[in-house]
Amino acid sequence: MRRRALRPPLVRMLGVMAGCLLAAGCATWTQSFREIERHLAAERYAEALEALERQGDADREPLLYQLNKGMLLHMAGRYAASNDAFEQAKRLIEHYSALSLREQGAMFVINDAASAYAGEEHEHVLVHLYAALNYLALGDRTGARVEALQVDLRLREQAARGGSDYVESAFARYLAGMIYEDLGEWSDALIAYRKSYEAYQRYRERYGIGIPEPLKHDLLRLTQYLGLRDEQRRYQEAFGIAEWTDHAAWRRQGELVFILHNGLAPTKQEQVAAVLDPTSGHYYAIALPYYRPSPPAIRAARLEVNGIAVETEVYEDVQALAKRTLDLKMPAITARALARMVVKARIAKAAREQARRSNDNSLAGLLLSLTTEVATVVTERADTRSWATLPSNIQLARIALPPGSYDVRVELRGSGSVSLGAFDLHDVAIEAGRKTYVSRHVVAANP
Amino acid sequence: MIRTIRLARPFAAALLTLALAACGTTVERLGVEETRDLSGAWNDTDSRLVSEEMIQDVLARPWVQEHTRVHGRAPAVIVGEVRNLSHEHINVHTFIADMERALINSGKVKFVASRAERGQLREERKDQELHAREDTRKPMGRELGADYMLQGTINTIIDVEGKTQVRYYQVDLALISLADNTKVWVGQKKIKKLVKNSRLRF
Repeated sequence: MRRRALRPPLVRMLGVMAGCLLAAGCATWTQSFREIERHLAAERYAEALEALERQGDADREPLLYQLNKGMLLHMAGRYAASNDAFEQAKRLIEHYSALSLREQGAMFVINDAASAYAGEEHEHVLVHLYAALNYLALGDRTGARVEALQVDLRLREQAARGGSDYVESAFARYLAGMIYEDLGEWSDALIAYRKSYEAYQRYRERYGIGIPEPLKHDLLRLTQYLGLRDEQRRYQEAFGIAEWTDHAAWRRQGELVFILHNGLAPTKQEQVAAVLDPTSGHYYAIALPYYRPSPPAIRAARLEVNGIAVETEVYEDVQALAKRTLDLKMPAITARALARMVVKARIAKAAREQARRSNDNSLAGLLLSLTTEVATVVTERADTRSWATLPSNIQLARIALPPGSYDVRVELRGSGSVSLGAFDLHDVAIEAGRKTYVSRHVVAANP
Repeated sequence: MIRTIRLARPFAAALLTLALAACGTTVERLGVEETRDLSGAWNDTDSRLVSEEMIQDVLARPWVQEHTRVHGRAPAVIVGEVRNLSHEHINVHTFIADMERALINSGKVKFVASRAERGQLREERKDQELHAREDTRKPMGRELGADYMLQGTINTIIDVEGKTQVRYYQVDLALISLADNTKVWVGQKKIKKLVKNSRLRF
């Protein structure tokens, strides 16, 4: 009977904590990602996939697993398999959009990573973007169009929740525009380009990304073709462009769309602050996530084809998007961490009082108290999970070419136009009035 | 005390069985006509509803008799593209195959192989010229030309408010004369669903 009295409900939490401690090990998610990163830098995609399977995330972190798997398969050129993974990821995102009271509770007692990873807003958009790129690589333009519509739905839903501060994904809109254009749906393409233009205007103030040159020409060409004179004049004045290829001439040519997925998005890091309370001997610990900015080594890619040289421009700064998403969430994360600190202090106090009361078995009581102390500190980990196989930024170049087959030289350039390597794309087929998409993910080793 | 244990044991056993049963994969066979909506996305029931409506309509309309009266033979149809303009990755081949089967089995309409199918047939014919016995050889250039092409679109309109969605699907199919581009039959099926996603999960 006495044993039962020794176990108030708060101390039972200790058991839960110990269990979580064992399951999580001591490494944060970021630390276990290093092996995959090494394989990617060396373009060993099969090995990277094996390493991902070994991590055992399929059960523990199903969404992260599917997102990373989809991305690695995309890099390996296994587009259909990649889309299977992304479809699974989309279903999981829907599933996790419902709130779990059990997980919410655990987040206030153990740590933020005790909840299932539901993905960040920008990740929810990028799933569709990569799925669309997979469909385009497979030559399935209708499939890509479906993704463009799903992105629209997703962005509308996020805008409804996001309020006035929300900015749409400019690149998702731009890609949608290109997909519609490729299918000859001119008015849909113009609407998407317009939305992209609006978003890039906000991007300029927020992330320092300018309006891409090709977008300006797209807007001028389409407004001219659709006979929207006023709008065309407004763009002409805003961009200061006097000449552009008109619709008919543009249709006679094909287009190479080269997309460079540059580097890897930064992973979240953890910062811990711990203070010892000298009167009670309790450690107050608080762990918060942060992003350490790491600009990618490659600044741009220079493409040479058919005597034309074009440099890629940044269309989406994933790193900046990720940082902003975290910044917006930081107040809630901090508030939760503080609340957790209070709860953990109460648990530790309860254990200490227990140890004091059970005089007959003081060693066991002391051990229990000590273990509780350790558990409250060790379980305090920051949630550093993120879709880490995303690139740091997405760059793009569009080159109009007469129909035919081309060899393309791609030179990767660092800051100050220093060459960081080059590769060739052989026999790129260009058809009149169509776009040929070539997508490369370059993960340079950390400088 | 003993009584408690006697009662507790079967109870524990029952609990254990329940726990084990929850872990294993369970399979339940369903009738193909049975409606089981899981996510609210396009599913087998939608495909079946479309094919039922379309088949009933296409066989009831006068275009077949009209063609037979004018040309003295059954019309030949080829399946063209059914464009998916919806928000979902929809497999259109299921209801097209249903329609094809119903039309062929009615005995009133002939179907010719589609663009994707006939490539393999032509290759086989070419192969026969080299390898098959002369009396069994099928010569080239004797294919039956189609009179009509079946084309269509699937469109969706989705309205979302929080966790509630109204999904509206419209499937339009048309038989278009290859001779003069006239549409001899247009079929339409509309499906509307209200999908409410849960705000809470375990």
